[in-house]
Amino acid sequence: MTSLILRDPTAETATVSRARKTPPASLEGKIVALMDIGKMRGDEFIDRLEGLFAEKGIATRRYKKPTNTRTAPVELIQQIVQEVDVVVIALSDCGSCTSCSTHDLNDLDQLGIPGVSILTEVFQSAFQQQCEKIGFAGASLYTPHPMQNKTTAELHQFAEGVFEELLGTISAN
Amino acid sequence: MATDSIALHRSNFLIMQQNQECLLFLKKDCETCVLIEPVIRALIARGRKLAVYVEDDPDFYQDLSPLDGTSLQPSFQWKIEATPTLITCDEKGRSERVVGWDKKAWQTVFQDKNLGEGLPEFRPGCGSKSREPGVYEHLVATFSESGLEARKVELGSWDDEMEACYERGWTDGLPVTPPTDARILRMLQGTTRDPKAIIGKVPPNLMPITVEKAAINAVMAGCKPAYFPVVLAALEAALDPVFTMHGLLCTTCFSGPIIIVNGPIAKAIGMNWGMNALGQGNRANATIGRALQLIIRNVGGGIPGDLDRSTFGAPGKYTFCFAEDETDPSWEPLSVARGYQKGDNTVTLFQGDGVQGFIDQRSSTPEQITKSLASSLFAVWHPKLAEFTNALLVLSPEHYAIYREAGWDRQRITSALHRAMVRPGVELIQGAQGVGEGIDPARANEMVNKFWPEGLLIVRAGGEAGLYSAICAGWTGGRFRYESIPVTKKIEL
Repeated sequence: MTSLILRDPTAETATVSRARKTPPASLEGKIVALMDIGKMRGDEFIDRLEGLFAEKGIATRRYKKPTNTRTAPVELIQQIVQEVDVVVIALSDCGSCTSCSTHDLNDLDQLGIPGVSILTEVFQSAFQQQCEKIGFAGASLYTPHPMQNKTTAELHQFAEGVFEELLGTISAN
Repeated sequence: MATDSIALHRSNFLIMQQNQECLLFLKKDCETCVLIEPVIRALIARGRKLAVYVEDDPDFYQDLSPLDGTSLQPSFQWKIEATPTLITCDEKGRSERVVGWDKKAWQTVFQDKNLGEGLPEFRPGCGSKSREPGVYEHLVATFSESGLEARKVELGSWDDEMEACYERGWTDGLPVTPPTDARILRMLQGTTRDPKAIIGKVPPNLMPITVEKAAINAVMAGCKPAYFPVVLAALEAALDPVFTMHGLLCTTCFSGPIIIVNGPIAKAIGMNWGMNALGQGNRANATIGRALQLIIRNVGGGIPGDLDRSTFGAPGKYTFCFAEDETDPSWEPLSVARGYQKGDNTVTLFQGDGVQGFIDQRSSTPEQITKSLASSLFAVWHPKLAEFTNALLVLSPEHYAIYREAGWDRQRITSALHRAMVRPGVELIQGAQGVGEGIDPARANEMVNKFWPEGLLIVRAGGEAGLYSAICAGWTGGRFRYESIPVTKKIEL
């Protein structure tokens, strides 16, 4: 018998991951981008994050994607890159949110803005899969799932629950 | 006599090494080859040196010591298109050839004015076996460089090629046609596009896809080469940013791309728009939709459970493709409604779910059937949600007949349906009717449309009998009115 040769139908991608950009040693004097992915109720979660940063005296600036179902427009990515030092992307609680926001995190990182993506815990494996497929060792934090049926107060508690860890992820100290 | 500049292949050919004057390609199953047998016999008897290859039956011309050409390697390497073909070579390896029986040309080659006396002046030949359907690409794959660039995956001698495709994670759960070079080359015959051309980046991993990679997946899906232009157009539509294939693939919702084909190509490639049009059983319908899904899976990395996060999925995510019934001249096809000319071949991709059946066997006027359809369309995703998604309505021949007989066309049906789907916001707001789900409470005092004005796509299809129609809910990404919309593309043949 002779062996059969087939052709690979896949993208033939390597899986070696690129490390994320090193975050600044301290957030003093830095500006943190709070990037709303455009999913319902993410703004309530981000409202609380904004307040927590303000209490620490850390400057923030808000951005919002037109839709969670696509990657961020190039113009938005370029604007963020020009205006801030680190980025926090929130809040992914669905499949399309996760994939698209992971690309955004990667795109910003490649342009020199280290960051972290906040997702609901169910999408931990999706985030890891997407990172693996695009060869990027991205940073992520997780809040409870589901979040769409929670009260605003509960969403604020989620933000408080993740905040200290968040600070440690976007600064080296 | 045609002159060509085919480089001389020295390996297996006797023409120079063994001091032959000419090569002759024949087959027994060719009347012209049989007709000229006395001529060949006479030439050999006179001591002319002819190497005779027989493509189909080595016993043919047995007493003339023919060479076995049944591997078709000589025919392939000499680019033989018909039998008989007579090739002469000069000392520099340049060749000239006579195709078919051309008495004057043969007489010139052999410098014999009496050659073929009594035979007709001209007889065309038959096609070479090397050019029969499906054969040529095997010969390219076996005897030459295929030019394909995708990574080779060599199976073990005893491997089952069907299982090998499963093991490598290349399938949607159903068997695929193993992508061999011959099959891929045959698929590429379906397009004039360069196999190396990049069509776009396939989500979710945003990996570039070439025409060749699309062909590999079309082979696996079971497509014929004639379907390939439709697959390429569907892929281009899917990769148009406003189609939001990225979100559609990764979503927790049910949806996937639904492909609707318009234009003469639907009939030309044997698509189904009639009985069971949305179901199984038609090769073109089944495999075109599946090819797109396999591309998303294999090239884009859209694997269920990884980045395809659909809570339930839907059967349409294997494949969902059908043609519109354009046989009734009173009906304006979807492609025309979307700005294309009647007769253009197009694909329209809709982000949609499975089929919600609609039955009405009692309504007999357009007003009745409109109200009836509207009542079912309210149910898309949730009766209390509005401007939340688009919808696809597949109108059956019997339901359309009610409209047609009253003189209603597409525009009138569409606008009447929209008018029938306007409701007071106060009934729909969150909490109203004791149901948490609903629209923004701020809209309580508005009259609210169920769909955006452009958000209801109507297609005519289905079997002659049955007072049913089909509703496919759109994806919830459609709530971003201008960010996620159906896309129509022309099919380039």
